[in-house]
Amino acid sequence: MKDKLGILVGIGIAAFVIVTLAFYIINAGTLEIREIGIIGIALILVASAGYFLWDRMKNIRKGLPAQDERLKLTNYKACSYGFIACIWSAVGAPLAAGIFFDYEMPGNYVTAIVVLCGGLTFMISYLYLAWKGN
Amino acid sequence: MKTRIKELRARYNLTQDDLARKVGVRRETILFMEKGKYNPSLQLAHDVAKALKTTIEELFIFEDS
Repeated sequence: MKDKLGILVGIGIAAFVIVTLAFYIINAGTLEIREIGIIGIALILVASAGYFLWDRMKNIRKGLPAQDERLKLTNYKACSYGFIACIWSAVGAPLAAGIFFDYEMPGNYVTAIVVLCGGLTFMISYLYLAWKGN
Repeated sequence: MKTRIKELRARYNLTQDDLARKVGVRRETILFMEKGKYNPSLQLAHDVAKALKTTIEELFIFEDS
């Protein structure tokens, strides 16, 4: 029951993100390459989340647990890599923008970069560890 | 670390799905254990050994590093 609830919440969040992105695209008019890149990364994150949910549903249908000790370990490892990526992107992104482009990055851009870098690192390391073993 | 899970599973005519269901883990976990790519917890090792009617010492072959 707990697993099914988790999947339902996940589907709800993914749908909410897609609807928000759709509204953003409709209202933004012409999109810059930078914005397209950010939307692309967000869509990759949603697609990866969709894969996780599908994988869990598949196991529940077979009568197997959605998550077991190996997947929890994978989750912990991917979380720690994502956390490290968040810290380094928070420090590195404004610093790199200042050094290479002489540009003072606004706080909301830094937040977006931290979320996207952390999310992407988590997804990539989770998928890699789940596929390769621990 | 090598394991005899595949051999014993074949002896009892169990699929990876069957064994996974018996011990309450995902099929991929059994697959990675068979390949030696995942070191299970002591609890899981015990459960798998019990499901295959053997002992942990018989099931897992440890190599000195």
